[in-house]
Amino acid sequence: MSDSVGGVPEPEGRGSFVRAPRDFYGGLVMVAIALFALWASRDLPGMRGFAFGPGTAPRIFAVVLAALGIAVAATGVLAKGPSIDRFYVRGPFFITLSVVLFAWLVRPLGLVIASFLSIVAAAGATPEARLLETLIWGAVLTAFCVLLFPITLNLPMQLWPNSWDLASILKGLSSIR
Amino acid sequence: MLDLLHNLAVGFGVSLSPMNLFMCLIGALVGTLIGVLPGVGPLATIAMLLPITFGLPPVGALIMLAGIYYGAQYGGSTTSILINIPGESSSVMTALDGHQMAKQGRAGPALAIAAIGSFFAGCVSTVLVAALGAPLTSVALLFGPAEYFSLMVLGLCFAVVLARGSILKALAMVLLGLLLSMVGSDIETGQSRMAFDIPELSDGIGFVVVAMGVFGFAEIMRNLEQGESREVLKTRLTGLMPTWPDLKASASAIGRGTVLGSVLGILPGGGAVIASFAAYTFEKKVARDPSRFGRGAIEGVASPESANNAAAQTSFIPLLTLGIPPNAVMALMVGAMTIHGIVPGPQVMTKQPDLFWGMITSMWLGNLMLVVINLPLVGVWVKLLQVPYRFLFPAILIFCSIGVYSINNAPFDCVITAVFGLVGYWLVKHDFEPAPMLLGFVLGPLMEENLRRAMLIARGDPTTFVTRPISGTLIAIAIVLVAIAVLPTIARKREEVFVEE
Repeated sequence: MSDSVGGVPEPEGRGSFVRAPRDFYGGLVMVAIALFALWASRDLPGMRGFAFGPGTAPRIFAVVLAALGIAVAATGVLAKGPSIDRFYVRGPFFITLSVVLFAWLVRPLGLVIASFLSIVAAAGATPEARLLETLIWGAVLTAFCVLLFPITLNLPMQLWPNSWDLASILKGLSSIR
Repeated sequence: MLDLLHNLAVGFGVSLSPMNLFMCLIGALVGTLIGVLPGVGPLATIAMLLPITFGLPPVGALIMLAGIYYGAQYGGSTTSILINIPGESSSVMTALDGHQMAKQGRAGPALAIAAIGSFFAGCVSTVLVAALGAPLTSVALLFGPAEYFSLMVLGLCFAVVLARGSILKALAMVLLGLLLSMVGSDIETGQSRMAFDIPELSDGIGFVVVAMGVFGFAEIMRNLEQGESREVLKTRLTGLMPTWPDLKASASAIGRGTVLGSVLGILPGGGAVIASFAAYTFEKKVARDPSRFGRGAIEGVASPESANNAAAQTSFIPLLTLGIPPNAVMALMVGAMTIHGIVPGPQVMTKQPDLFWGMITSMWLGNLMLVVINLPLVGVWVKLLQVPYRFLFPAILIFCSIGVYSINNAPFDCVITAVFGLVGYWLVKHDFEPAPMLLGFVLGPLMEENLRRAMLIARGDPTTFVTRPISGTLIAIAIVLVAIAVLPTIARKREEVFVEE
């Protein structure tokens, strides 16, 4: 361990008592999740005599998770560890956008349009993508998906919008269900 | 013995039907196709391909999934050997000597021996699964809720101990999985728990949703960071078949790997990984000249490959007999079975013998297919490895989206998956391993149910888990296991602390 840290100067400034930020902040988030779960299950009935209620198991798990989270955070104070890797924004953003776009469009606009736009959005995740290339590849993939899922595998999916009437499409776009 | 033969005959009757044979073939082929994509392990492959089995009858679907599993695993070995990127942790060992062989222009024999070793291991362990299935099922009938609960605790402890990195963090991941599995309705009262009146959450978070988000999407986000820096071997695949000395050198290695793998695979918690690791280490120990290892020793490919395949197969034993998935891949299989209305467990064997034995025999067929179809297709896989990632990832992404959508025809499921993708990305950045979380997520409802029943039977006395002999033994093993794994870490951490001070 010590030789890998060796000559590289550690970036300072993030509260000097945190020595392994991945452990420290990771542990704290686990504690936060556990507290959130405790809050979310607050009105579930607990033990009735010796019978478990719906709220018993979630509370047990949440309390143990909180304890473990504290322990993990504690190791982050006691022992040295690597600093947190850089978070990239571009990849995760466009990947999420692509999936959400698909979810949003697939009902009102049908599989063809939703897939194509979703693929184009996904391409934004890498700077290596070229526009024309993306459009062609998007068309090819969309065709493949249409052939595979609704046709070959017989999954019930609508290919195109129910009607091209703008009002009904807009109504469909107003929710993601 | 006669029983065994009869059962196998029933099984082959099912799995050799043209339809099921075709399913197995397609599964193995598609599994390999996806599995060779760098950074896509068997878990992601199965999660991604799960939707294509929805329209099939249950037996066909499970046979296809088994084919996908073996295909994906073999695909992982292929990438380890050719480009030194193990698709999953169980083929890490293969990369050590396999890639060296490839660099020396012997990629062909390395791939061939991996397939042959896997096939041999598959033959042996199929018989083992068939032979052990029945007796273990009767053991399962001795298990009450307390024993089931303790067994699952043991399984989770195994998974934690075998996970990479910090034990504490792996434990936290298990608990996070358990907690996530509580979302939805309570099994007994039907009361909604932590669902926040979101209708899509009222039935709980889908297993595929979690798996696909945390493994599929998060993996893509991570791969994109690295950019196009893959070192694709300009392989001259001269001579696919191993030479006679190769075969002679690997024969005993395959045998040893198979035995080790079969035994370790039955243990709950990541059997295949530890099996390949143990097999490689063992092979190096018994070798006359250990210095050849890491420089392209064919035994270093043969042994771990046989071991991980044997273990992959025998890890079906706890699933099929006890209904407890021993690792994350098996957990996905449970998800698949549940979607088809099959509850894994001892009753599968008695109530649906054709499904049980059909699946077991199809494992063997799956292995055979790998040898028959994959060796000639190695050239195609190499070509596939040269496809740039900017073409691959939108395809993976859209298949996942359509797949998740098609499970319930619920667009909102895609949104939840996307959220889990971001969660998975965050977890990886903080050195949390998602596999134990997935196992906890699958075992959660089962654990709660058995915990509740056991407590009710014992009239609220929690010592029941320790005082019942089988349950107590299982708990004791679990505690010892975690203690063995944790103590050295604590000692080391203490040392670090003292050095720092």
